[in-house]
Amino acid sequence: MGVLDARKAKKDRGLNKIPTASTSDVAFLLLIFFIVMPMKRPEVGLSMVLPAKSKASSVPVRESNVATIRVLASNALTLDGELITLPRVRLAIMDRLAGNDQTIVVLETHPDADYGMMIACLDEVKQADARKVSLKTTKR
Amino acid sequence: MAFRRATKKEAFIPTDSTGDIAFLLLIFFILTVVFTNETGLVVSLPRADASEEGIRDMLSNVFINEKGMVSIDDMIVRPDQVAAVMSQKLAENPFMIVAFKTDKETPYGVVSDVMEGLKEANAVKVFFNTDLELPGVAY
Repeated sequence: MGVLDARKAKKDRGLNKIPTASTSDVAFLLLIFFIVMPMKRPEVGLSMVLPAKSKASSVPVRESNVATIRVLASNALTLDGELITLPRVRLAIMDRLAGNDQTIVVLETHPDADYGMMIACLDEVKQADARKVSLKTTKR
Repeated sequence: MAFRRATKKEAFIPTDSTGDIAFLLLIFFILTVVFTNETGLVVSLPRADASEEGIRDMLSNVFINEKGMVSIDDMIVRPDQVAAVMSQKLAENPFMIVAFKTDKETPYGVVSDVMEGLKEANAVKVFFNTDLELPGVAY
C-alpha cells in the first residue's frame, strides 16, 4: 500500500455521513399532514326545496289542511292566529299532523323578524316530522 | 440419503422501498390538494337539532351578515343581482344547492329577497347552514 492509498483510507474512515434512516418517517409525517389538512368541518343544516316561479307549480289546497306559523316583527310566534311559544310549536304541529296527515305547514316570517327565529321554528317543524313545509317569501 | 441445506434462509418482507412509496404518495397529495380560501362574511349561525349533513361539493355559499350584506363567492352583491349570478352558476352546475350562511340576527326580509332571486333563477334547492357545535341548544 502506497502512502497516498493509506492516507485516503484514513480519510474515508473519518468521513461524517448524514443519517438518512428517518427520511421515510419524515415523509410519512408530511403525508399525514397533506391528507388531513384538506378535511374540513362538515356542512350541517336544514334542507328545503323552494317552489319554482312558474305558475304550473302552484296547487290549490284546502284551508283546513294548512297550519300557518307566523313569526312577528317582535319575534313572537302565532299558530293560526293564536300566540304560541317556541317550545310548544313541535307538539302543536304533531297534534295537527295526528289529526290530519295532509297538513301543510306554512312558515310566514315578518321581514323585520330575526332569521334565527325562523330557523328555530323550521327546526321545530322538522322535528315534528312535518313533510310538507312551505316558506313564504315576499319581495319588498 | 437426506440432503440438508447448509444454511437456513429466513423469509422477510423488504422494507427498503417504504420511504420511496411514502415520497411518491406525498408528491401525489401535494399536487392534488386544493386549499380553497373562501372568506365570505363573518356570521354567527343559528343552531338546530334537526340539522343534517349537506354534500359539500354541491353547495354554493351565500353569506348574509347581520347588516344584510350579501356575498356570493367572495363578491358582495345586491339582493336584486342574486338571480343573475345564480342563473350563471346553475348553468355551470345544474345540481347546485344554495347554502345560506346567514347570521341569526339578520332581518328575514333580506333572506326573503335573496330567496325570491333564487326562485327567479330556478335555483330552488336550498340549505340553511346551522352551527355544528353545541347541538341541542336552540336559538
